[in-house]
Amino acid sequence: MAAIPQDSKDWMGARLERKEDLRLITGHGKYVADIVLPGMLHAAFVRSDHAHAKIKRIDTTEAAALPGVVAVFTGDEFKDHCKSMRQPVLLPNLPAKYPLYYALAIDKVKFHGDPVAVIIARDKYVAEDAAELVVVDYAELPVVLDPEAALEPGAVRVHDDEADNEMFSMTFTGGATIEEQDKNAAEVEKIFQSADVVVKERFRVHRTGTTPMETRGVLAEWSPSDGLTVYNTTQRPHIDRLAFADILDIPAEKVRVIAPRDMGGGFGLKAPFYRESIVIAYAARKLKRPVRWIESRYEGLMNIGQERGQVNDLEVAATKDGKLLALRNRGVADCGTGQIGVYWGFVMPFLGAVEMPNAYTWNAGDVRLKVAFTNKACLTPSRAFGHFPTRFAIERAVDMVARKCSLEPADLRRKNLVPKLPYTSVTGEYYDSGDFLKVWDSLMVKADLPAFRREQATARAAGRYLGIGFGCGVELSGVASELMVPMENQPGYGAATVRLDPRGKAFIFGGDAPGGQGHETTISQIVAATFGISPEDTVITTGDTGTTPFGSGTIGARMGSYFASAVRKACDELKEKITHVLAHDLGVRATVEEFAFTNGEVIYARDPAKRKGFREIVERIIMFPVNLPEGEVGGLESTAFFEAAKPMICFNADCCVVEVDITNGNFKIQRWVTSEDVGNVINPMIVDGQMHGAIVQGLSNAIFEEFIYNEQGQQLTADFEHYKLATAADVPTIEITYASTPCPHTPLGTRGIGEGRPSAVSGALCNALCDALSLFNIEITELPIRPNVLWKKLQAAGAVTK
Amino acid sequence: MKTISVTINGEAYVETVPVRMLLVDFIREKCGLTGTHVSCTYEGVCGACTVQLNGEAIKSCMMLAAQADGHRVTTVEGLANGEELTPLQKAFKAHHGLQCGFCTPGILMNMTEFLQKNPRPTDDEIRRGLVGNLCRCTGYVHIVDAVRAAANSAT
Amino acid sequence: MYPAPIEDYIRPRTLAEAVSALARYAPGEAVFLAGGQSLMQAMKSRMVRPRCIVDLQTLTELKGIRISDGLAIGAMTRYVEIAESQAIGPAYAALQDAAQHVGDRQVRNRGTLGGSVCWNYLASCMPAVTLGLGGTMQLLAANGKTRAVSADDFLIAPLETARAEDELLTSITFPAAPANTGSAYKKWGLVTDALPVVGVCMQVTLNAAGACSAARIALSGLSAGAQRAPAGEALLVGSKVDESAMKRALEAIVGSVDAQSDKWADTAYRHQLIRTLGLDVANSAFARARGV
Repeated sequence: MAAIPQDSKDWMGARLERKEDLRLITGHGKYVADIVLPGMLHAAFVRSDHAHAKIKRIDTTEAAALPGVVAVFTGDEFKDHCKSMRQPVLLPNLPAKYPLYYALAIDKVKFHGDPVAVIIARDKYVAEDAAELVVVDYAELPVVLDPEAALEPGAVRVHDDEADNEMFSMTFTGGATIEEQDKNAAEVEKIFQSADVVVKERFRVHRTGTTPMETRGVLAEWSPSDGLTVYNTTQRPHIDRLAFADILDIPAEKVRVIAPRDMGGGFGLKAPFYRESIVIAYAARKLKRPVRWIESRYEGLMNIGQERGQVNDLEVAATKDGKLLALRNRGVADCGTGQIGVYWGFVMPFLGAVEMPNAYTWNAGDVRLKVAFTNKACLTPSRAFGHFPTRFAIERAVDMVARKCSLEPADLRRKNLVPKLPYTSVTGEYYDSGDFLKVWDSLMVKADLPAFRREQATARAAGRYLGIGFGCGVELSGVASELMVPMENQPGYGAATVRLDPRGKAFIFGGDAPGGQGHETTISQIVAATFGISPEDTVITTGDTGTTPFGSGTIGARMGSYFASAVRKACDELKEKITHVLAHDLGVRATVEEFAFTNGEVIYARDPAKRKGFREIVERIIMFPVNLPEGEVGGLESTAFFEAAKPMICFNADCCVVEVDITNGNFKIQRWVTSEDVGNVINPMIVDGQMHGAIVQGLSNAIFEEFIYNEQGQQLTADFEHYKLATAADVPTIEITYASTPCPHTPLGTRGIGEGRPSAVSGALCNALCDALSLFNIEITELPIRPNVLWKKLQAAGAVTK
Repeated sequence: MKTISVTINGEAYVETVPVRMLLVDFIREKCGLTGTHVSCTYEGVCGACTVQLNGEAIKSCMMLAAQADGHRVTTVEGLANGEELTPLQKAFKAHHGLQCGFCTPGILMNMTEFLQKNPRPTDDEIRRGLVGNLCRCTGYVHIVDAVRAAANSAT
Repeated sequence: MYPAPIEDYIRPRTLAEAVSALARYAPGEAVFLAGGQSLMQAMKSRMVRPRCIVDLQTLTELKGIRISDGLAIGAMTRYVEIAESQAIGPAYAALQDAAQHVGDRQVRNRGTLGGSVCWNYLASCMPAVTLGLGGTMQLLAANGKTRAVSADDFLIAPLETARAEDELLTSITFPAAPANTGSAYKKWGLVTDALPVVGVCMQVTLNAAGACSAARIALSGLSAGAQRAPAGEALLVGSKVDESAMKRALEAIVGSVDAQSDKWADTAYRHQLIRTLGLDVANSAFARARGV
């Protein structure tokens, strides 16, 4: 149960019940689908049935004539009246092929689900009736679905105006020039030539990703005087605002984007700028009436939420006593059409390659990536952004090395963990702080490997197959500008405005847009602890570009790192001013450090009799700005921007215990144990919840979820009957232990957590399965891992007769 | 069109609706009770729209509004007695049983009935009881904690 | 994602009203709505576009489980009622095995036995269980005529049954089982309580000597829909009911059925599921037959 701290300083770290919950458990949340504006119209999209086809003709006559239909638009409307989706604000600063595309398909469709027309109607049922009446004549074209085939010379081209399907290609090691990279590659080759142990495998990860329970939704309203207001399910309203302005050619001051306070999950999926948003905003402006689109799950699973989808040809060189020496990887990612603003499908695999070395020390590395266009939906960001496939590969490869060296994989991991931070990886990623060994050792205490090995031996004697597996992950704690600017053409800093009111209440404004992470609660705890007031006395507003300072969004674990730090910084600035005035009023010469803000009072530490109520001093500065210290003016509001000196990370390690039924390959996870470095914790309950959710997403991705396309490029998994999510009965409970090191680069010692967290999961799971079946030398190199696959491997190994 | 009378949270709603209108749209759009959510499309797998029909948990996207004519529906808005939350609602708050909250109303409606039928469930029974409610945020751990705590607090 | 327009909704108060309501429309234009857990999916995806819905909810004659000279289950009896019934004995316990694991609580609170059997979806449990237990469909036509059709004849192919357009399934009856009869059902799906990738239903009777004197086996989840497995039944009957007999019977089934291959399970794995589920089901059915 949540304990209420006795002292306001203890709000930091308290298991405070969430401020968000009361409205959400009583049905009074307000998600985008709950917002209704007078005269609101409804949109339904007509989408391509084909993965690749020329649009010969679109006949909208019958649809437009249906009573209740207000308008029907096709691609030409957007080509003629809007700019393309390829606007500078949405382009990364990385050399890639950025395909030209518009809000609706022009001339040809490039994936199953490509939007070709939109119906705007007074009733959502009627909109769907009309969508059925739109006739599109297609001339089917051959499809290209396999990314490696797509890169072959002469392959079918996804985009006619691009020379080939190679969207992006990069070498992440050795240096910036080809000469440096080649020299590095030769050195790596030399290490492989002389290494005692080499593991070489092709690791394949399927298309899977995330599916927030709330689908996307856009509600746009046009006013001749105020311009465009869009309620959008977005994790980055401020970027959306600029994109709306640029694509629709509206002066930027006439665009306001509001990410509703209640958003039903994001997980990266709501971070891109989507073409449907332009369609709805355009329709609202043209028709001068509010227009709303609530995405169906069918559309969602057809179009977005698809990530991973990658092969990695990975080689690892090691000494016979288990010292990792070098890694060499050739990754090929299946980008789909590459048509998604901000990310373009390739930014995720890009970061995945950067993060490949993980927490291990390598003498050298040669890491390369190619990203291919295919006739599939474009990859969209999903929690564990980009590195789910590379983490799977590296964590499996490390176990394979251990097996070759006859070492306990846990021991080999510990031996190779980066022993001291800061550290820069072979791909140039900076690991700022933390203690990997402490995290690891705390995991091992909780997991109790020796006890497990005894239990395993007993079980095996009884014909039962238990296994234990480990994995770990270095994850970004926020995304520093030095990475955000090239990767997403956006700043990484956190921004917050803190405004105090004459009653001593704090109003906090942030430009990010959470979707369930509990920002209102954690921010209230920081502010309460800083000012010595109650979290009840705070109100947090996020997501509204009309009222909040610029923020790059709720992405990449920015809360505990950048947003929280900006809030703290803004509070500190106000404390300076408050104490400046208070010292003057008390007639003492004192700095801010000499005052304690505690339990509703501001107390002069050298003489605690000299004190004032927080509300009184705040009210005095705001309402009675007379007799102030020289040069001081009234009012208490501060906007602060925070950027750490260095990029920051958090770190975690997983242990999975599994039992396999070798007669059918069914497996059950018996234990899931984790150890986490999350820095200083603001609300442990919320941190626990982030870990639980992330780990189960990782499991669900690894076992159950898979986007499947047939040979014609038709997507077969556009509903939850076929795209299977783990249910409560399919997943284990989770035991968490914390071994945190305060982050030295944030004012509160906190780290951003939870975003990258699913990435270590698939490795730990598969390592446990392989450990259980080590008798049969079974290695898993492909996801998803399912009973069918395991049983086939067991059969091939002669483990099961029928 | 069909004129129907449905009692929702003790209040009678008499409305004329198209036959094809789903019960969930009736609840959300005709009655303005937007605590009941929609997450899947037609397959009826997610459980976000779960309400109680005559006291039993059902998916309101898998029924026509017309089918509810003459019946009693309870939605998440009808759980608390004024300001007084139910033990299950309190437990969801105390145990952080929700993050984005989108699936939560459906879970509360399902688990409220579940606990009436099975007041002292095991964790496995709770997890099996939750199969019809997908959650993407919590990994279910805190949901199970909350349901277990609500069961314990009621005895 | 919303149903196509529907002109009329009728909630008949008698069986006669129900069948005559349907008969007022051309074949296929009006549909009976039972629990709606399949039909609503089909209507929302616009695979089915009825002009009229005939909602059976008020017809109490269609509800309930009756024991007298066998077992009769009203077509509108819900899964939850079957799952929780105290009246269904070991001979028909497979019904409960299946009903307890159909979908989820919410589905079980609405979905009906009759609805499932008439829909006859390929990956569903109730058609196979009805078949495995030798159920008989009691049908009522618009002209008042009734007829009884065995599950073997009723379940033609996935989404296809012998029910005429104007007929209403009123109940499913099961004959009084001989002493020492037991049944069981078990399925496998990727996630808990999912639609069956493969499901196996068995009903067996033991004679005084403890040998198997009668056996019915049916499978769910295969592309041909609910189907009997006569090859296995033949081998089980007369056997001493040991594990090797069971395995021989299951192997015969594997050798005689067409099992499709898809992303959830390839053909060989579906065969293996028949073996492993089949063994569990056989053990459970025989145990129930013995009264343990």
